[in-house]
Amino acid sequence: MSAEALWRSLGRTDIGKVRESNEDAFLDCPEHGLWVVADGMGGYECGGLASQLIVSSLAALPLLPSLDERVKAVRQCLHWINRRLNQELTVAQGHAERIMGSTVVTLLLEGRRAACIWAGDSRCYLWREGCLYQLSRDHSLQQQLIEQQQMSIEQARAHPSASALTQAVGARAQLTLDMLEFNVCPGDTLLLCTDGLHQALGCEVLGNALSRSTPQGALQQLFDVALSGRAQDNLTAVVIRR
Amino acid sequence: MSERASEAGLHSAFVGADQVQCAPASVRGKALPDVVAGRYRIERLLGVGGMGCVYRARDLLHEQFGDPAPLVALKFLADSLDQSPDGAALLYSEFALTRHLYHPNVVRLYTFEVDTDCQRAFISMELMQGLTLDRLLCEHPLGLPWKMLRSIALPLLDAVVHAHRRGVLHADLKPSNVMLCDDGPRLFDFGLGQAEEGMPGLARLSRTRFNAWTPGYAAAELLEGAAPSACSDVFALACVLYELAGGKHPYRRLPATQARTEGLERELRAPNTLPRHCWSALRTALALDASRRTMTASELHAALSRVPFWRARWQGRWW
Repeated sequence: MSAEALWRSLGRTDIGKVRESNEDAFLDCPEHGLWVVADGMGGYECGGLASQLIVSSLAALPLLPSLDERVKAVRQCLHWINRRLNQELTVAQGHAERIMGSTVVTLLLEGRRAACIWAGDSRCYLWREGCLYQLSRDHSLQQQLIEQQQMSIEQARAHPSASALTQAVGARAQLTLDMLEFNVCPGDTLLLCTDGLHQALGCEVLGNALSRSTPQGALQQLFDVALSGRAQDNLTAVVIRR
Repeated sequence: MSERASEAGLHSAFVGADQVQCAPASVRGKALPDVVAGRYRIERLLGVGGMGCVYRARDLLHEQFGDPAPLVALKFLADSLDQSPDGAALLYSEFALTRHLYHPNVVRLYTFEVDTDCQRAFISMELMQGLTLDRLLCEHPLGLPWKMLRSIALPLLDAVVHAHRRGVLHADLKPSNVMLCDDGPRLFDFGLGQAEEGMPGLARLSRTRFNAWTPGYAAAELLEGAAPSACSDVFALACVLYELAGGKHPYRRLPATQARTEGLERELRAPNTLPRHCWSALRTALALDASRRTMTASELHAALSRVPFWRARWQGRWW
């Protein structure tokens, strides 16, 4: 059975209340069992192009027969974009080298098998039987301080560069992608989102929204709450429900 | 500009544009409309460079007349450059230089146009089916077998020889500026290109030379302020060929000036897949000092296409 028949999904992005431009991009493609959220960085123009290149290149991948082949193709594509953004850009004399990069979180589904591939702090959450699980682990200094220096979340969050990314597509010569493979169950709801959304909402709000019966309802609730706050960053989410 | 060959017959399975949600292409200047110049419907972003970006678009005029494949690539300058007074001249220069070339391994440009509503100039060109060499390298991290490398290197060198004969310098040769199509490689993006002085039939455009380069492929003399030359093109091309042969950049991706300071030229080793008879020429082309880079694109082509004496004899050509 095709993924399309099993999964309902919807994506939404919003510029927020403070930023001048939206550097986020997403892909919502249930018929290929592929969903992507990317959060561009590098400021004016660069970030938006980087996230757009990721989404548009992943959307153009041919539909391969197995999940393993699709995972390989997605990884290869992201490594190529990393090279393109990090090593192949023309630089004008007198202009500092610009960073053109983006976070990415990708979800691939094939039958019961799922794979989540990510770099940066855009996240994948799973809502299953009333519990919320964060499946991706941020590539951020805050996360690194928690894991390597055993800091508490509060201590790590107080670091002046807590939100600095340790991985992103285009940020370094070598990209390290993280991946999690898992099985999905009937009734599962998955959320891909940028930090603009997950920073603005607590776990309780995320869980409440994902417990709604449709992706439309979940997205509506997520954005209603986020936009009722300060919404300092761009907000993007894709909700996938079986 | 680029499309994976595998996508050619996949339009029905192609992800629809409505499933991809991105910000408009331009944020400071006027955003690109869905249909540019009343004729080209933008479908998706194909590539990004430091100076511009390329979109796949549908030519609605050709489609109206029944063209079964009305797809084109549209190149726009980066918004930051587009706002500068020289922006359109820079793009027109690329158009004029590339149109001066007639070679099967050089991209074919169609038109230079301006969308008056969004006030942005753009070039329309053929939509190439294939993958760029930087993407090919990601799929072959250890480099290419000699036969495959040769099938890319010789036509590519031939394109550069043609450009140099026509008085056109590319000035930004690198893997992402070469597309490997079904019928061979195509050289594109003459955005930093220059007309050699004194070449008949090619006016030197009256714009200040825009000093820009790609650090891993620019010759040392370019980084030190010299004008682009055929010799600097040869260096960049040699870096690309070396990388294709062994998967590794000859100078660890360092700028050529730094590679020279660190004496990396002495450490150069022939890639394993490169036949011995080609190494001497490629090594000369990789010289960090322009005065020792005594190799033209034509001579490099000759060296790489030469059949070694022992093989010619073995194949019975010598008796």
